Amino acid sequence: MSTLEILDPTVETPKTVIAFVPRPDSLQGKRIGLIENTKFNSDRLLLKIGEILKAEYGAGETRLFRKHNSSVPAHRELIDELTAACDVMVAGIGD
Amino acid sequence: MPASLTSRRYAVQDLGHAIELCFEKGWTDGLPVIPPTEARVRAMLDTAGLEPDREIAFVVHRNVAVTAEKAAINAVMAGCRPEYFPVVVAAVEAIGDPRWAYHGPGTSTAGAGVLLIVNGPVARELDINAGDNLFGPGWRANLTIGRTIRLIMRNVCGSRPGTLDRGTLGHPGKLSYVIAENETESPWTPLHVERGFAADQSTVTALAAEAPHQFYNQLSATAEGVLTTLADDMRISGNVMGQPQYAIVLAGEHMRTVAREGWQKADIRKFVFAHTQNSHSHLKRTQRMAGAIQPGDETRMRPLVESPDDILVVAAGGRAGAFSAYIPGWGSKRSSQSVTKEIRRPR
Repeated sequence: MSTLEILDPTVETPKTVIAFVPRPDSLQGKRIGLIENTKFNSDRLLLKIGEILKAEYGAGETRLFRKHNSSVPAHRELIDELTAACDVMVAGIGD
Repeated sequence: MPASLTSRRYAVQDLGHAIELCFEKGWTDGLPVIPPTEARVRAMLDTAGLEPDREIAFVVHRNVAVTAEKAAINAVMAGCRPEYFPVVVAAVEAIGDPRWAYHGPGTSTAGAGVLLIVNGPVARELDINAGDNLFGPGWRANLTIGRTIRLIMRNVCGSRPGTLDRGTLGHPGKLSYVIAENETESPWTPLHVERGFAADQSTVTALAAEAPHQFYNQLSATAEGVLTTLADDMRISGNVMGQPQYAIVLAGEHMRTVAREGWQKADIRKFVFAHTQNSHSHLKRTQRMAGAIQPGDETRMRPLVESPDDILVVAAGGRAGAFSAYIPGWGSKRSSQSVTKEIRRPR
């Protein structure tokens, strides 16, 4: 027999639908944006990835962008610039 | 007719089963909690004069709102008395502030605790400890208010150890990390007054922080002596290259020694800022700064913090014992800054 009722301290995970841009069929000639998260060596890793995309997949120019810091999403100005200047972007986070 | 509570309800046989259910659901920090019944939750809300659906904070990067109802449920679980709840509310506002920037300290491998420093009359009224065993056991208000914040981070914001909270080491302050400033005995301007509040206002200041580091100086009878030891201890600490904010907690003996010569908090900050700088050559030799040592690196200095104002000076701790502490903030000031919020209570 129940004698006590308790309340749930958690919240439902909010569900948000995100629209994805279709993936390109090929990277041939595509302008690549590399989002650097400011952690040490992240620029070197991304530049290396950029080189591979150019050498092995025929990508066009690569350009490195820098976030304000690793703990926040990319800022609005960076996203606007990236949208105008790039076709494809590579982002990630790691230590 | 008060607004109804919308949280899901679980019926249980008795108190013991309720405590076990909270463990089974993954709602606790590893210690037993007080079962959150409606009557207890309502007592919290009534004391703060808040409707259950009132949004206390919205954590943008987690896309989650912390409502008064959820905060109150977690406060009950942590063991808060209802009169502590306005302090919890202010602390939630602080960690939801964009300057505190929840996502980093709420998830980082570097393992931030939420140091809460309470100032003003509320600290005395609620018996929030500012003295002996400052960071340690013994005071319900200190332990349950801090515990509530961690439970809210876990249950509402999703910072569960091992999943979203990936602290490599964490530290004991991640269970609870609350102190008050010893305004009764301190000769200095209280932290909240330095930050623009009136002395008769009550506030809570949140700093994403590492564990406290205790330092010894049982030798000096001068301000410069005590602070020289502090600076030497502190110089290589925390995320040396990141320039986080710091808190300095000066306990009774050191407080009296430093104050006797007329040093104010601004003098302490200035001295510590000047004496915690590292040469580039030392940082490079000890593998903290990248690159080879260049000519001039022996005298090229890097400050531990960006500016003296990034050092929070707090008078607190026991009256006896020539020990004090410094607390490195988490990460860097760029990633998270200390935030002070007023504790508001209904008249």
